[in-house]
Amino acid sequence: MLRRRPGRPPGRRLGLGLWLAAGWIGLVLLAALLADVLPLARFDATLAGPPQSGPSLAHPFGTDGLGRDVLSRVVHGARVSLGVGVGAVLLGLAVGAPLGLLAGYRRRAADAVIMAVNDVAQAFPALVFALAVVAFAGANLRNVVVVLGVLGVPSWVRLVRGATLSQAEREFVLAARVLGARDRRILWREVVPNVAVPASSYAFIGMAVVIVAEGSLAFLGLSVQAPTPTWGGLINEGRTLMETAPHVVLAPSVVMFLTVLSFNLVGDRLRALTDVREIGLEPVRQVSAAVPAAPHPVRDCLLQAEELRTHFVTPRGLVRAVDGVSFTLERGRTLAVVGESGSGKSMLIRSILGLLPGTAVRGGTVYLSGDDLTARSPAEMRSVLGPRLGTVFQDPMTALNPVRTVGTQVAEPLRVHLRMGRRQAREAAARLLASVGIPDPARVLRRYPHQLSGGMRQRVTIAMALSCGPDVLFADEPTTALDVTIQDQVLRLLHRLREERDMAVVLVSHDLSVVARWADEVIVMYAGRVVERGPAAEVFARPRMPYTEALLQAAPRLTGPAHHRLRVIPGRPPDLADPPAGCAFAPRCGYARERCAAEAPPLLAEEGRAYACWYPLTEEARSIGR
Amino acid sequence: MIVVHRLVRLLVVLLAVTFLSYALLTLLPGDPVTQILGLSATEEAREQVRRELGLDQPLLVRYLDWLGGLATGDFGHSYITRMPVADELAGRLPVTLELLVAAQLVALGGAIPLGVAAARRAGRALDQALTALSFALLSTPVFVLGVLLILVFAVTWQVLPATGWTPISLDLGWNLTSVILPALTLGCGQLAVYARLLRTDLIATLQEDYITLARARGLSPRRILWRHALRPSAITLVTAVGLNLGALIGGAVIIETLFGLPGVGRLIVDSIFSRDYLAVQGGVVLISVGYVAVNLAVDLVYAAVDPRIRRA
Repeated sequence: MLRRRPGRPPGRRLGLGLWLAAGWIGLVLLAALLADVLPLARFDATLAGPPQSGPSLAHPFGTDGLGRDVLSRVVHGARVSLGVGVGAVLLGLAVGAPLGLLAGYRRRAADAVIMAVNDVAQAFPALVFALAVVAFAGANLRNVVVVLGVLGVPSWVRLVRGATLSQAEREFVLAARVLGARDRRILWREVVPNVAVPASSYAFIGMAVVIVAEGSLAFLGLSVQAPTPTWGGLINEGRTLMETAPHVVLAPSVVMFLTVLSFNLVGDRLRALTDVREIGLEPVRQVSAAVPAAPHPVRDCLLQAEELRTHFVTPRGLVRAVDGVSFTLERGRTLAVVGESGSGKSMLIRSILGLLPGTAVRGGTVYLSGDDLTARSPAEMRSVLGPRLGTVFQDPMTALNPVRTVGTQVAEPLRVHLRMGRRQAREAAARLLASVGIPDPARVLRRYPHQLSGGMRQRVTIAMALSCGPDVLFADEPTTALDVTIQDQVLRLLHRLREERDMAVVLVSHDLSVVARWADEVIVMYAGRVVERGPAAEVFARPRMPYTEALLQAAPRLTGPAHHRLRVIPGRPPDLADPPAGCAFAPRCGYARERCAAEAPPLLAEEGRAYACWYPLTEEARSIGR
Repeated sequence: MIVVHRLVRLLVVLLAVTFLSYALLTLLPGDPVTQILGLSATEEAREQVRRELGLDQPLLVRYLDWLGGLATGDFGHSYITRMPVADELAGRLPVTLELLVAAQLVALGGAIPLGVAAARRAGRALDQALTALSFALLSTPVFVLGVLLILVFAVTWQVLPATGWTPISLDLGWNLTSVILPALTLGCGQLAVYARLLRTDLIATLQEDYITLARARGLSPRRILWRHALRPSAITLVTAVGLNLGALIGGAVIIETLFGLPGVGRLIVDSIFSRDYLAVQGGVVLISVGYVAVNLAVDLVYAAVDPRIRRA
């Protein structure tokens, strides 16, 4: 039976800040509602205390120039701010949301018209407009609410349209449309509930925006008129007393700041709740996964990995991406690393190069000509990366910086590592491009990556990797993203370059036909571990580990019978945060027996190769398995 | 080609904005004639002034007339001072421009190093402190920030003037002193916006394959950050600079009032209070043209920042 322990759902902590913010909003709201009932001096009662006196028990925020209680005035000001906020947000929502839904759902003409109007609205100086309208139409609560509400409409349209657009593309909405459901029904049932969350988040942010806008109007004397106090008005009045009684201006300022901050914070957290991108970005604890390294001989070879481990500490637990990988590599040889995606191949390369994300923990040792790379500082490591270790990645479309010319990028390592001058580096770069088979290198140097074809770009990345004459070239799926016809050219090129420069190549691939043709040795990885290792020809002709066999059967073979059936490997690679107890491949293995699920097989060496399996395949088993 | 297309589009936006503002200002209650003559004027006198100012014409005719004048640089005459609005605007524009440019310098000058520093150590203490700071700055209304800065720098420490303006032509040193606080007030909010945008964008860029490969070539983190990552990340920032101009101008209206700067924003506020429609209208046009022109410039800057756009 499969042992499954469902991982805890990723923690969506709302945080203390949110509760403080919500509490503050509640407090201000309550104070505003109960302003007349609260045991406060009247906001317009002069000489409630001595003028310009500082905070005291009777007047917690002190008194202003006329001896009026500042706390009472701030509390009454909250009525205007929050009242205008709620009114304007509701108005903006009521007008903007239907328009946004329409634009996002209907597209075409409706969308074009609505967005054009929005464009115009954006070029409109909103505050100036609000000032003019309020000044001419009369500074009262209703006008302020209407003006700020109307000014908020474009933002609401944009927000709701965006949310609707992303929903309207979802399968369930498309399916409902295909099934002939009526638009109104689709909108209400499928779209509106999903737009509601971003809309409620924006309602809080909109409150903050409106409160600031109302404050600005009031500051200029164009909101609700005296005697009703407003926050902006209080700050404007307090300005004149700044030298003698700064508390008069500070009190409303701080209250206003906290209120705006709280609304922003609540809105931001609501948005973060629905924004998948931010989940899992929380900083993780660093845990040492270093396993004490067993004593091992340092061999006389070019590259040696000993018990290399790369673990990630995630909210779901420790993920063992690379779990004790060892190999050696001689000059002039090609080592292939094969396995399904997620088996840890690429992570192995990154571990060797020390190019891991900050959350990774690395253990084990890597020797380059007997020199321990894992003991090097990042700065010391940089002198090896480029000059001695070259790297090529899978996708040439993303491997080049889109905003720098090919020439700048190819010449950069030459200038940094080999300290060449600008012209010298440029000439060397042109020679490099020629050596990887790029016609008219001088012209290509001036090009940007997007102006080149995929095959050309991969040649450029190879030229960059080779620029400082490395001893080892790491090629991580170098042809996967390329056309079949280009694939062969690139592999031939890599092979030729290996011969010419007497390099070693580490070739990562899931394509066994590539590996069989170009590799000398192969290691097969599964769930972060080496499950089989040996000379490429041997391993592919007579796999001992069932996983290797399964991989071979899943690969199309040019030499096989014409109607040979391709077999997919059943099941999925294991969850690396929660791997099976025994052999990681056991749940998917056709040959598995009881022992496989209970006990993990060690990697056993045998006649120049090695495999990790309790019941290795023999000739008879292979014929049955077919 | 794309430039022509954009220009046409922007022209349409400008026409719409000017017509809408013209119509709105005219249709709103409140009569400039009352402002000029006072409440006690006779109906005949009012009618006379109305004719002189052209207020008896239909709205569309007045708008087209005004628009025709605009084409020759004539913004009309102020109803109150009878001075050409264009002269008034021209006199005040340098003040506002200096304020806006200085504010942008404050914002970008602070945001780029802070955003880069935060992205480099994403999730660490500096990053979190910066996130909190920018959140706080975003939540501070400009007039609150302005009052606080005045309280600290002008009242308590008395190192900078609280209000007033010295033109560059008079004295450069005093001019700079008088622009520091207003620019700081106006720029801080934008600084927070820019720093957050740049940080988010840089973090995404730093995940790109070409950055990992740059590391694989042994380039230093500093070089990768400034030469490889910053430019691809700058696009959102450039957009934001254009789009935020509206907010910045709104802020300038408040700032100029708060710090007593004789700029366009102050002119607009004063003209609103005195019902001086044509002066308000002139200010609105100036702001809209500025907004539209800056956003056109932003589109052109894109092409310089990102060569992928050039082929379009």
